[in-house]
Amino acid sequence: MGSLRALTALLLALSLSGCGLSVPADPEGTLDGARGGELLVGVSHSPPWTDARGFAPAGTEPELVRSFAASLDARIEWEVSGEEHLMSRLEEGELDIVVGGLTADSPWTSQAALTTDYAEATGPGGRTEKHVMAVRMGENALLTALERHLLSPEAQGTVRESGLETSR
Amino acid sequence: MTARFGHTELPAEQARALRRAVRLERVSLGTTAVTMTLVILVAGDSQAMKAAWVEDSLALLPPLAFLVAVRFIRRAPTTRHPYGYHRTIGIAHLVSALALLTMGGFLLIDSGLGLARGERPPIGTMSVFGTPVWQGWLMLLVMVVVIIPPVVLGRLKLRLAPLLHDKVLYADAQMNKADWTSSLATIIGVLGIGVGLWWMDAAAAIAVSLSILHDGWTNLRGSVLDLMDARATQYDGEDPDPLVHRTDEALQAADWVAEAECRIRDQGHVLHVEAFVVPTGGAPPALARITELRERCIALDWRIQDFVLSVVEELPRELLPQLAEQEQASASGDDPRAAAQPSSEEHP
Repeated sequence: MGSLRALTALLLALSLSGCGLSVPADPEGTLDGARGGELLVGVSHSPPWTDARGFAPAGTEPELVRSFAASLDARIEWEVSGEEHLMSRLEEGELDIVVGGLTADSPWTSQAALTTDYAEATGPGGRTEKHVMAVRMGENALLTALERHLLSPEAQGTVRESGLETSR
Repeated sequence: MTARFGHTELPAEQARALRRAVRLERVSLGTTAVTMTLVILVAGDSQAMKAAWVEDSLALLPPLAFLVAVRFIRRAPTTRHPYGYHRTIGIAHLVSALALLTMGGFLLIDSGLGLARGERPPIGTMSVFGTPVWQGWLMLLVMVVVIIPPVVLGRLKLRLAPLLHDKVLYADAQMNKADWTSSLATIIGVLGIGVGLWWMDAAAAIAVSLSILHDGWTNLRGSVLDLMDARATQYDGEDPDPLVHRTDEALQAADWVAEAECRIRDQGHVLHVEAFVVPTGGAPPALARITELRERCIALDWRIQDFVLSVVEELPRELLPQLAEQEQASASGDDPRAAAQPSSEEHP
């Protein structure tokens, strides 16, 4: 009967959250906040995916994030640092997205939500690596929106131009 | 071939029920295997989905235990196993009870930790024929499909369990219930995550885990008590088995019996009965009458087969602890049965 109570609670929550409901939603409303607002993106240096040496981050992934932000009409606040530091910032909710040549085998799965893989490349040792980005844990609207963008023909075109294999 | 439990030949109704039970348990194994495959395909990072998968693997244990036990209990007693092989059902019951308890415990700890740490399950998209689809929808779809077999199978098993007096089937029916309620919890959890309520997944799982733990504990207690030869209970482990009382009555109904008591243990499906009777007038009756009484008792129910009848001068109090209880009750005037009986002290 506990499940029945939970179901009632869910229905109540659904009715309270009103009509403008979209599924999935962000518990912290990150995607909605980014629309016409700011997107906080962490970059760690990992060429050719990211190049953090210049004034503004360059490389395939910053380019993909820029087109994603443009689709949301969002300004990007970049933060350049090491991967571990960026991941703890992401976990604390002080960043929304982290890029830096991350792969699907990344060990950060309990700190960050990894996107679906959007490109493949031959990594060290000749293994094929599936490339992903990291999103703040549980912000599922942002996660799905970013994934949809990464798999869009436009983004996949960007990946191909940079000489990498698209994953789809 | 006639269906047997050791040297007990099963009546037609029980033989049919046993065949159906074996078929049901095979179907259970099959559907669980299919379910596990489906769930792992869409599981992603949802804790509830991962938990659902671990649970499904535990749900394999009761059917497996049942099917293994059924192979053993058909064997007739041998020199090395004079009581037969029926206890394997007790062991299967213990295995099923532990599976239930583990499942409930796993679910409670897993979800409880997740909730305490504030873990927010990420659910992203999955490419279905080239189109990205939110994985939550796929999980819901799979869960709505996999919830059906345990509901149906559980109900069918519940109908067979009393017919066969089968506690493994009963425990497995509860495992099916655990299975579909936790699938329901996953549905609620994924819907919750969908609308941004990250804690819903864990909260629903905790609610369900408590009822699973309760079932597991009840079954564990029951199976251990049976293995320790506690008084025989009904298939659900709640009330005393009515056959205990009926056997006593049948013994006392014989005109040459002054006093009768028995001790009965549950060996799985069948009972092992040791009966003691004190003849009237202190003289033993004709052997034919003793044989006739024993056969009448065995005819009471298909579950009574292993029946030892001792004709004694006085009821052995050290073997029949219920005597002291009955005397106490008759002293305070509650038990009409004990009051109607002359107490053993009045006998020569």
